[in-house]
This record gives sequence, C-alpha cells and structure tokens, in this order.
Amino acid sequence: MKRFVIFSVLFLLGVLAAPLLILAAKVGQPAPDFTGTASNNQTYHLADYHGKFVVLEWHNNGCPYTQKHYMSGNMQKLQKQWTAQGVVWFTIISSAPGKQGYMDANGENNYISKMGAAPTAALLDPTGTIGHSYDAKTTPQMIVINPQGVIVYDGAIDNRPTDDVKDIPGATNYVNLALGQALAGKPIETAATRPYGCSVKYKGTWF
Amino acid sequence: MVFKPMRNPNLGLCFPPLFMLILILLPTARASAASIPHGTVNLVAENQWIAPGRQTYFGLNFHLEKVWHIYWVNPGDSGQPPRVVWHLPKGLSAGEIEWPAPRRLGTSTIVDFGYDDAVMLLVPVRASSTLPANQAAQLGAEISVLVCREICIPGKAQLSLTLPINSMPPAVDARSSELFTAARRSLPRQAPRDWEFNVSDQKDSFVLTAKLARKTTQATFFPLEESQVDNSAPQKVVPVATGFQLTLRKSDQLLKPIKRLKGVLELSWDQAYVIDAEVGDALLAR
Repeated sequence: MKRFVIFSVLFLLGVLAAPLLILAAKVGQPAPDFTGTASNNQTYHLADYHGKFVVLEWHNNGCPYTQKHYMSGNMQKLQKQWTAQGVVWFTIISSAPGKQGYMDANGENNYISKMGAAPTAALLDPTGTIGHSYDAKTTPQMIVINPQGVIVYDGAIDNRPTDDVKDIPGATNYVNLALGQALAGKPIETAATRPYGCSVKYKGTWF
Repeated sequence: MVFKPMRNPNLGLCFPPLFMLILILLPTARASAASIPHGTVNLVAENQWIAPGRQTYFGLNFHLEKVWHIYWVNPGDSGQPPRVVWHLPKGLSAGEIEWPAPRRLGTSTIVDFGYDDAVMLLVPVRASSTLPANQAAQLGAEISVLVCREICIPGKAQLSLTLPINSMPPAVDARSSELFTAARRSLPRQAPRDWEFNVSDQKDSFVLTAKLARKTTQATFFPLEESQVDNSAPQKVVPVATGFQLTLRKSDQLLKPIKRLKGVLELSWDQAYVIDAEVGDALLAR
C-alpha cells in the first residue's frame, strides 16, 4: 500500500511537472517522438515514420486563421498534394475539452468529410501533450520533419499573417517551399518563422 | 449636433453608449465611430482643422469589453495587431501608428503583447503646403482588428471624418484634448540622455545592461520585432548599483545574429522607454 502511494505521488508529480521539463523543440533538432490517437481510432507513433517526410499541422476549426485556410480549400489542397508524394500529414488538435477547437472522434471525422480534408490522420491531443512537446503556440502552426527525424521547418503556413482568404494566392507558402527544397536536396531557405494564428487552447489556459 | 465625451477617470474618456448608437446609425461614410467585436472604435481629430504644410494628429480610440484585448505592433506569440488603410484626398498623407506601451498578456507558455480595456493609437497626418484652403477634407480609415479573449474574432470598421482646411495654424479641439494628452502620456518615451544601454549576444540569450540613475529591481522588455526574443521565457532581472542586467532568451525562430535590438523597456506601469541598442559580442561588452 505504501509503495503504491509513493508511486502515485511520484507519478502525479511527474505528470504535473511534465510541461515544465519539456525543452522546446526547434529547427535542426530531433523531432520529439509521440504517440497519438487519431479520430479514426488508430494509434500513430512518429518513430514509425522514419524515412518519410512528416508534416504536423496544428488545428482549431473555430479560429479565423484556420478557417481562412480551410474555407478557401488551401489546406486541403496542400494535404492532397503532399500526401500524394508520400509525405505523412498529421492534423493535430491540442484544444482541451470545453475550449474552442476541441473535437471528439466523430466530430472530427464529420469535419474532415465535410471539408474534404485529406490528412493521413487527425490526432486528438486534448491533454496537450504533443502540443507542449513541440511548443506549438498557434493554429495554424506548421512543422516539417525530414526522413531522418529532424525538424526542418517550424512556423507559419505562409507569409501573409491575416485572416483574409484573398491573401492566399499571392502568399509564399512556407510548407511548399520547405518540402520542395528538401525533396530536391536543396537547403531550406526559410527554416523558422513566427507562426500566425490564434493561441492553442491548452488545458489550464483562459487566454 | 454637439457632443461631449463623458469624463470618467476610471475608464478614460468614453462616448456614452446611446451616443455611440446614434453615431453608428448614421450613414457609414460619415461615421467617425463604429462597433467592432466586443467593443467600439472611433476616429478622433486633435485639431479643429487641417492647415496646409502642417501635421495634425488623429487618434484611433478603441474601447473593449472587460478582458477582451487587441494587440501591439509586435503581437507576441499569437494574434495580430490592428491595421489601418487610409483613404485620403490628394495632399494628405498618413504616417505610421504611434503605439502606447503594451501590456504582457497570456499564460506561462504563450505570451502576447497588447491592450485591454481601452487604447488610443496615434497617427500623424501631413498636409502638403499646396493643399487648397477653404475646402473640407474627408478622411477615411479602414480598420482591421483582431479582438480576443479565449477566442479571437476579427473585425472590420470603416471610419470617416471631415475637417475644414484652413491656412491658420491649427487650433486644438477641446473635446478631444484630454484623450490626446492621455494617449501621449502612455507612449514610450526616449530614455534620459545620461542613461546607457548595452546589449551583448550570449549564445542563447541577449543580456541587456542598463546604467540608469539608480538601482532597479523591476524591468520588462518588449521586443519591437518578432522572432528575436522568446516571448514566454522569464526575463531575469539582476539589480546592480547603477541599474540592472536583464537576460532575454533568444527566440527559437532567430537563426541569424541581429545587429540591433529595438523595443520598449518598462520599469513600471507608467515608465516605458524606447530602446534601440547595438548588439555587441559578449567578449567585447563590459
């Protein structure tokens, strides 16, 4: 009984301290491994995708900046284009229950179907574990991981930080740029930018 | 219609709600006030007329419902600052927004910079000396603003103001003079000449050393540009006899060295200073 209590306390302390211990993942560093459950009820381990490019897309369907890229069809187009080239695309929802963007599996499946989205999977991260391990701050925020498991891009989806769909056609899309250059074996020109969007609605935030 | 702003020391100057309603119901092209998500914005002139060859200030006066906020020129980790597109007659040109000192908003992992409650952004408008007098100038301002509190709602407002053009030196508009005085007081000031600031590049951080008239225990730095300083990292202040040293963790998005560090240094709620310091090598800076 005593051992159980000690273990429980240590476990709880570990869980509470976890966000504080996480070192923010940055460009050039190994992408933190994760295990996520998707809206299709399957489990995905990042480590299983070594050897492939992986895109992580932080998502909140109530955020005007996310809506800009979905109502215009821009995000769906990117998802289809890159998954067709063998890139793995994870949409990640780190909103806590009760906060904007939170989706349960059925809700997210309906959204994906309605919007014609085409990620490899939509990972439901309501505890914010995956979000915090990547220090994801906004929706959208885009991370590109190379086949060696290194983060090669982290930041904004493009260079027009507005909520206006009219700004999409003329924008420089950093995801296209990063993947295009990496696949061609060229150095990535713009590896990090300030992501623009709404703050990720983590558990324990009111902001 | 004569209108007087209501004087309320707690809220600054606000236009009474009924008055706002009347203004909002006026044809859009002439409205100097408009509603935005969870607030209002109005366009205010400092002077009674525009004089050719001179500059006059205008204010974008935002009032927000409790806890809703808008953003500073550098919004921080999330959000976007308000933007204005001016529609001005020939001979008038608008300068850059002058931003009051921001507040730090957010959580421990996501930190933004902005304003809640009320803020007036100042914009100088220059009139060419060839602007014909004895006419009226209609100024239009198209505002895009993101208003947030747990969620973010984008808003747009079309504001308009008509002022006479007169060659006499502009007289202040008494109705708005308190607003402008308060707004100017909230702008970051130039630091006193005898203060010194040095910034050294220390691999993962910038260290700002300030030589002021006195030992200082409290200081917060707001970077003017994005992606230079980590917004959520705690800023360690070490007081020294002549001032303080402030450690600013670099942003994860900063991949190349920078030559200058610009921003606003706040020593207290009403002491904000403009900083523009050269970034020196750690080895060379004392």
